[in-house]
Amino acid sequence: MPATPLNRICYVEDDEDIQRIVRMSLERVGKMTVRVVGDPADAIDAIKEFKPDLVMLDWMMPGMDGPTLFRKMREMPEVRHLPVVFITAKASSAEMDELRAMGAAGAISKPFSPKDLPDQLRGIWSALP
Amino acid sequence: MDHAKDAAFLDLTSAADTPVSAPPVRELADQRKVFADQVDLLFRHSPMGVLITIVVGGIATYELWGEHNNDLVSLWCVMMLFIGAARHMLYRAYYRRRDTNYGNWLRWFAIGAFASGAVWGFAGTVFFPAHTDAQQVFLAFLLAGIVAGGIPIYSAVWWVYALYGVAIIVPFTYILATYGGRQFIELAVLVPLFLAVNISIAMRLSRVFADGFRLRHAYAHLGQDHSMLNAQLQEQIEELLQAQREVEASGRKLALFAERAPIAVFEVDRNGTILEMNPSAENTFGYSSTEMIGRSMIRMLIPSDEPVLSSDWWKNFVANAHPEAGLKVRCRRRDAVELICEFSLTPLVNDVGELISVITQCQDITQQLEAERLKKEFTSTLSHELRTPLTSIIGSLQLINTGMLGDLDKEVSELTNIAERNGQRLLDLINDLLDIDKIESGKLTTYPEPLSLDELVRESLILNRAFADRFGVRMALRGEPVPITVNADKKRLIQVMTNLMSNASKFSPEGGLVEVGLDLADNNMARVSVMDRGSGIPPEFRSRIFGRFAQADSAATRQKGGTGLGLAICKRLIELMGGRIGFADRDGGGTTFFFELPLMDQPAATST
Repeated sequence: MPATPLNRICYVEDDEDIQRIVRMSLERVGKMTVRVVGDPADAIDAIKEFKPDLVMLDWMMPGMDGPTLFRKMREMPEVRHLPVVFITAKASSAEMDELRAMGAAGAISKPFSPKDLPDQLRGIWSALP
Repeated sequence: MDHAKDAAFLDLTSAADTPVSAPPVRELADQRKVFADQVDLLFRHSPMGVLITIVVGGIATYELWGEHNNDLVSLWCVMMLFIGAARHMLYRAYYRRRDTNYGNWLRWFAIGAFASGAVWGFAGTVFFPAHTDAQQVFLAFLLAGIVAGGIPIYSAVWWVYALYGVAIIVPFTYILATYGGRQFIELAVLVPLFLAVNISIAMRLSRVFADGFRLRHAYAHLGQDHSMLNAQLQEQIEELLQAQREVEASGRKLALFAERAPIAVFEVDRNGTILEMNPSAENTFGYSSTEMIGRSMIRMLIPSDEPVLSSDWWKNFVANAHPEAGLKVRCRRRDAVELICEFSLTPLVNDVGELISVITQCQDITQQLEAERLKKEFTSTLSHELRTPLTSIIGSLQLINTGMLGDLDKEVSELTNIAERNGQRLLDLINDLLDIDKIESGKLTTYPEPLSLDELVRESLILNRAFADRFGVRMALRGEPVPITVNADKKRLIQVMTNLMSNASKFSPEGGLVEVGLDLADNNMARVSVMDRGSGIPPEFRSRIFGRFAQADSAATRQKGGTGLGLAICKRLIELMGGRIGFADRDGGGTTFFFELPLMDQPAATST
């Protein structure tokens, strides 16, 4: 379990509505600091700059999907240690297993509940080594 | 074919194998029939014998009539006539009665012949000494003639002739021997010799007759066999013709099947050359049969880079001669359009395992595959494109309804709650439809892991409390659940629990209590029960409660929500996890829904 509580979240998501809901959920309900990135191509730079505790990735995005972005992050020393949580509507258990096998910290299935989202993330955070 | 016919065939072959020579054929004759023929021949000659006797007897009477012994001559003549008449009556009786006791007839005939002979013997014995020399010569010649003349009449059965001859000759010989004088003694020696020669001739004749009869019967027997075989042959030919007609009929039927079949059918030889094809094959590939028959099916239809149904593949197939089915192969139509066809290949093999031809059936499944792809795409769209906006809708409403964004007017709050609830309902429907789709396509899978069932039951109670609150229903554990470990898919099991508990909430009276129990059932199963105090399940609904879109009352549906798919999904999920699901009436009213899952024997054995 990490020593510090979960505070800074970077969220990569192309859908602006969901961006807004997640932001509100994490800021208002979870009292966290959130940076939202709309274009996955900008994600790595933004992560480097924002230095989040945890990164949330959407699975399906135009240009670059979540898993591809995740693999790219794994190749970069500055960001490779960051825990990554996927938010996906492709909610089958097999795919969840696949993500975990890739080293993802966890996955949250869409549609998520904004009421519970901060707690779900904190649950994943506290389960980290 | 039955055994009788088999035997007939064996007879035929054995007869053909045996060299045809007289004795074996003669032996085929029925001895009783030969005997009957012999007796019959005797009787046929009987009138002639009687007639000759009377004529010769008449002449003799006239000749012997003289000064003395006329009484004896008269007596003799009467005896002769009497015996002649008796024999003729026997003859008449024989032809009238026609019974088959030939032994009896022969006996009577023999008696007649003996009597007839005895009358002549009487003549020789009585008249020879008493008459003149000339008359003695006449008598001697008469008797010799009568003895010799009896041969054709009696020799059908030689011993009848012998009886006849002996009856004539023995008394006459005695007279000659005792008459006195050397010449008479010599005659007494010669006359029996003469009889013996005659008897031997009769014997030979008798044998010739018998042989003739035997041959006749043997050939009649052969003829009978022959005509019987002929009849059997005819019957078999008829059967074969019938079989041929049936084969032709079924052949026509089969041809019609192939002709009218909606799938393409080719008959190809071992080299893949097309021998026959049906109209569907023409339609599928755009070639006429005249263009295709005699050419290689593979070279005409299959692109060279297709691994299945390549030339090498075909060689292998012909070598193994095992049927193949469900081969999905790319094919080229005449207009160069590519099709995906499903092939079934059935080798026709003869008794000795040689491949005669291959029946190739193939169906254009291009459109079917396209439809499957579209359906998959649709399902995926449903899954993603519908759920994404719903995520926004439900998420937004949930955030508003938490009150984190500020207090709302009571009526606005009511409406946003309604909106959230219905958004959730729509989402549930989509999820259920996706699950049903997976069930129907056989793609619904579970990911079982060792799971504490008592913890899961507690978790479900917490998760569904809000739903129960909405219906004013309380939910509680019945008793303290024992720790139980099962191998199950947690997410799917919570889905089942949620379904059962929300059903129980919906159908409970307001203020009612829904109890959830966890017990050990028989057969190493754990049983989870969800018990309500609702109005129970209507009898007419019981049989289809686990079917799709099953709802007892559509008015209740509108009022309480639900897709009618929930229990169908639950049933499948529980079955996939090796368990069973059911329901029972509850004592005191209400219903208990339950599911049972197999207990995990050794929770420690799993690595997770």
